[in-house]
Amino acid sequence: MTAFRITQRSVSQRTTANLQLALRRMSTTQDQLSSGRLIRRPSDSPVGTVSALRFRGDIRQTEQFVRNADDALGWLGSADRTLTSSLEQVRRVRDLTLQAANGSNSDASRRAIGVEILALRDSLIGLGNAKYLGRPVFGGTAMDGNAYDSEGAFAVTGAAATGKIERTIGPGERIQVNITGPEVFGHEPNDLFTRLTALANDLTNGNVTDFGAHLDALDGHSTGIVDALGQIGARFNRVESMQQRATDQLMALRSSLSEVEDIDLPATIVDMQLQETAYKAALSATARVLQPSLVDFLR
Amino acid sequence: MSNMSSLSTALSALYAQRRGLDVTGHNIANANTEGYTRQRVDLVANGGPLSPAIWSKWNGVGQGVDVAGTMRLHDAFLDMRAVQERSVLGEQLVAQQVLGRIEMGFGEPSDLGLAAQLSDFWAGWSDVANNPTDLAARSALLERASTLATNLRSTWGSLSALRTDLVGQMKAQTDSVNEMARSIARLNEGIVAATQSGLSPNDLTDQRDLLVAKLADTIGITVKPANGGAVDVLVGGTALVRGTTAQTLDVREGANGVVTVNWSKDGYPATVSGGAMAGLQMSVNSTIPHYLTALDGVASRMRDLVNGAHAAGQDLDGNTGIQFFAGTGAADIDLSADVRGQPRRLAAAAEGGGPADAANALLLAELAGHRDPKNPPPLGQEHLSGDGPDVLYQALIVGLGVEAQAANRRVDIQSEISRQVDAVRDAQAGVNLDEEMTNMLSYQRAYEAAARFMTAIDQMIDRLVNHTGLVGR
Repeated sequence: MTAFRITQRSVSQRTTANLQLALRRMSTTQDQLSSGRLIRRPSDSPVGTVSALRFRGDIRQTEQFVRNADDALGWLGSADRTLTSSLEQVRRVRDLTLQAANGSNSDASRRAIGVEILALRDSLIGLGNAKYLGRPVFGGTAMDGNAYDSEGAFAVTGAAATGKIERTIGPGERIQVNITGPEVFGHEPNDLFTRLTALANDLTNGNVTDFGAHLDALDGHSTGIVDALGQIGARFNRVESMQQRATDQLMALRSSLSEVEDIDLPATIVDMQLQETAYKAALSATARVLQPSLVDFLR
Repeated sequence: MSNMSSLSTALSALYAQRRGLDVTGHNIANANTEGYTRQRVDLVANGGPLSPAIWSKWNGVGQGVDVAGTMRLHDAFLDMRAVQERSVLGEQLVAQQVLGRIEMGFGEPSDLGLAAQLSDFWAGWSDVANNPTDLAARSALLERASTLATNLRSTWGSLSALRTDLVGQMKAQTDSVNEMARSIARLNEGIVAATQSGLSPNDLTDQRDLLVAKLADTIGITVKPANGGAVDVLVGGTALVRGTTAQTLDVREGANGVVTVNWSKDGYPATVSGGAMAGLQMSVNSTIPHYLTALDGVASRMRDLVNGAHAAGQDLDGNTGIQFFAGTGAADIDLSADVRGQPRRLAAAAEGGGPADAANALLLAELAGHRDPKNPPPLGQEHLSGDGPDVLYQALIVGLGVEAQAANRRVDIQSEISRQVDAVRDAQAGVNLDEEMTNMLSYQRAYEAAARFMTAIDQMIDRLVNHTGLVGR
């Protein structure tokens, strides 16, 4: 400011303006300190605001990916467990069939084996009807009910029969979490359950000529189930690693958001104290400056 | 030169110093009066007649002092400059306030703002996709969508309420402009009358200049000096006050929603540049409509994207072509009557999919990622070129932030300029008590000296009248 005539009024006005400025700075810092936020409104930092908005959106989306992955793991896990039990039971059927093929067995013991195989078939149908959250695991996109009827016929019809259940587990990354009954147990009439019924019937009726074909078919079904298990396992691994990645990303996003939006506490406290000191100094200077005038010195 | 004329010289000095003291007292009394301009007695030495004549001879010694008048010590250019800067500041202050209120209306960035609600809405579709047959997930999604729509509507509502509020303020400000113009015209009248009768209407002039400065805060004006100490006040080149007459302004809202300030006499729009009125006019006609349009853009983009994908899908009962959102923009966006309160009607499945198919819900959930060209639309949604509502909304908020930040900076700078100009003006026109005390001393001493001079003359005459020529006694 140029040197000009100084008047009491201009001094007091300038002083007031300066005090106001100091007080406003202090109140901004106090605001930041009490709210813990650096950005209170978009104009505080437009660039920071857009980052904050994006980070928030990304966090919400990634959280959802993690939840989707949890659900996907549930589906895949349930399919995996069911398929493992199915495989054991199919192997048991194969053992029984081999035992029955042994020529030293009497008709009665073959009939007994036939009955056991029939029981195993029912148990396998039960496994084929496994449910996750009330929905058939192997039933495509059927809403409820069973994937297989009591005779082992695939009960789901229409588009639902081949429906894919998918989960989004990353940006633009979807994974199928189901596998349909026919894909695992074979398509009718070459499916596992028809084969088991035929086998049990052969054993019960004493028709013992065709064991070789039965055994080959059973081996084929075992391989099918193992393949399906492999697929499910691979997907399980992929979902798990995606979930891990999403969780890591979530941490990174949260810390980025905090960097953009939150105050640096020690720095802000130091700022606050500096401003307080400056304000106090301004106040005491004002108290001294505004006091003296020639009036005090004239008699 | 006669003895008696020396007495009158002393008398003129007594008068003049008295006036000086009076004016000093007046200055001190008004040391803190807003808009007061310090005054000085204009003293002129009475040097005798300029053109000597037969009976008007003059021996070369002056005849005392004359009070030529009292003057205001101000700088007309600084006054004018201060008026201009105040106009600019007035406009910018309003712009800043309005943008601040718009920012508050959006309440970003936060966990509760529209951006967060949009994210929640998209996440709701993921939940439905995870469990398409679960009515609870569907109802939750409907609730979120309804909250989102309500918030869009209420944000739009608060913005347009702000606009209505500002139009009201414009009307109130216009009334006060008219009132101030009338007062300035009246003061002009008083000033002209006083000047014509040879008085110094200093205090009237101060009052008028203060009013002019206040008027400049409200509306951008140009001030021109006129005859007899009056001033003309022009708004956009047309006289608001000419001499002793004042025109009036009024505010009209056109059919297209544009609010203008018009001259009452002929209805022509006034060119308002500067002052709070300019800021208000700008906010009402441009700033707020801009953000309303942008918000409308967000709402209708969301409506179109969601409806487009939703209508292609199929609900739990196999129906297709269901609209999700209804409404023309942010003002009236809501859930469509087709889905409100009917969670079964959410088209989570792709057309022809099984009842528990969730392909369409997945597509809808992935609209959240529909952000920018770097992140192309998901498979099967290539028709959705352009940015999604999240991106439009972010752009809106960033634009608002930048504009508000710029407005804050402009106000900071302009108030500093205005403060400096005011300070210089104050320094010129304000009262310095030290100076007044010194003046008081000098007038007082001069008064004492003049009195002593009078005593001296008196004693001379006394000597002459009473102590000379005593021989004959």
